[in-house]
Amino acid sequence: MTETTVAILVPAVLREYCQGAKQLSLPAGTVRAALDELERRHPSLYRNVCDETGAVRRHVNLFVNTLHVRDRDGLDTALAPGDVVTILPAISGG
Amino acid sequence: MSDRVVLAIGTKKGLFVAEASKTRRSFALRGPFGSGVAVYAALIDARGTPKLYASSCNAFFGMKVLRSTNLGKTFKETKSAPAFPKEDGRALANIWSLEPANDRKGLYCGVEPASLFHSDDGGDTWDLVPGISNHEHARKWQPGNGGLCMHTIYREGDRMHLGISTGGHYLSEDGGQTFVAANQGVGAGFQPDPYPEFGQCVHKIAGHKDAPGRLYMQNHGGWANWDGPGGPRPDIGVLRSDDHGHTWRSIAKGLPSDFGFPIVVHPYDADTVYVMPLEPMTRTCPGSAPAVWRSENGGDSWRRLAKGLPKKQSFFTVLRDGMDIDELKSPALYFGTTTGQLWMGRDGGEEWTCLFDSLPPIHCVKVAVV
Repeated sequence: MTETTVAILVPAVLREYCQGAKQLSLPAGTVRAALDELERRHPSLYRNVCDETGAVRRHVNLFVNTLHVRDRDGLDTALAPGDVVTILPAISGG
Repeated sequence: MSDRVVLAIGTKKGLFVAEASKTRRSFALRGPFGSGVAVYAALIDARGTPKLYASSCNAFFGMKVLRSTNLGKTFKETKSAPAFPKEDGRALANIWSLEPANDRKGLYCGVEPASLFHSDDGGDTWDLVPGISNHEHARKWQPGNGGLCMHTIYREGDRMHLGISTGGHYLSEDGGQTFVAANQGVGAGFQPDPYPEFGQCVHKIAGHKDAPGRLYMQNHGGWANWDGPGGPRPDIGVLRSDDHGHTWRSIAKGLPSDFGFPIVVHPYDADTVYVMPLEPMTRTCPGSAPAVWRSENGGDSWRRLAKGLPKKQSFFTVLRDGMDIDELKSPALYFGTTTGQLWMGRDGGEEWTCLFDSLPPIHCVKVAVV
């Protein structure tokens, strides 16, 4: 069986936590598996996206291609080869 | 030789550092560092080569600890920030206090939800201190308006005092291994029982190295007219202990309000203590005229210090870590406001000057002579 490889797009503000990479390539069949892989390969970057309980931080949004994961199956959203997972900070603050 | 006065100013939009000679005639401002991100805790660690630390409480990407080894000219993140073990179930929401520990590079960090972490390598790695973080009361503490925060870490040898809002005062007498709630005489206005074992909304605790066993506390006062269960509880807001915090008594008589946040002790006189009374409902200065109040006899009487401060139409709050005092021969007091002014009171608060008038809302002010 061929392993699913997806792209993770990293926002500029977080690139210092992955040696400046704008995009990462990870093997993962779901968004949850992608985050697990992110934790293994780039723990500092992962900690910016998820808190220590494993929950995605409140003001961080994850998209698979153009859809927010909450509009699909959350962290269980299945990933297909070539899918793009985008990490984006929410528009919030003051 | 220590010849620079350095201020670390934590604001809603990052950390600022101000530096002056010992004359304090002119402060140069640097920053913001961690720009745009709230800073609730700062530490100027004067042990050995001075280091500055600041919490950087990023609402998007979580908590960081910033460290500077060049007196606040540049800052870098430490290798990690405090974090609960995954199986604990709690997640760090804020960092409220940073204090030196016994060991040379040791640090303590008080966080929200109220817990304590220790680092033995200057903030690169952190371990949960279980004696308080997993205390049997810990899951019963309630968050105050600012969150469930551990804001005070004060050490006297092997004794450690912690202030938690709202948890109360916790005391360790074995170097931080075990803790007991020590709140006898510390009132709570928001519970039917005026003097519960724990759960008080302590705002800040301060002590003095020359008076071991004596502590001062700014508690959540403002309950003189309370007519609910338990009845009124006047003067529970400003307290003193003379037995290492086992028991407390009011020293609020003579103040215009027993509500406030910071409490600061003079560096060379354990009898001299400063508070900034606020109206309990608005949390602004009584009569919209700011003043620091000073006692020179351990809280038996108080004097208003307002020369140079606005006489009217001032509606700021000074938060729990928003006031500090330097250690020059004639010490100056400093406070930062939620409206972004940083004030300096020469001669122990006798005469006030506004050093900066348009900073972001100020959360904390720390000063050291280095």
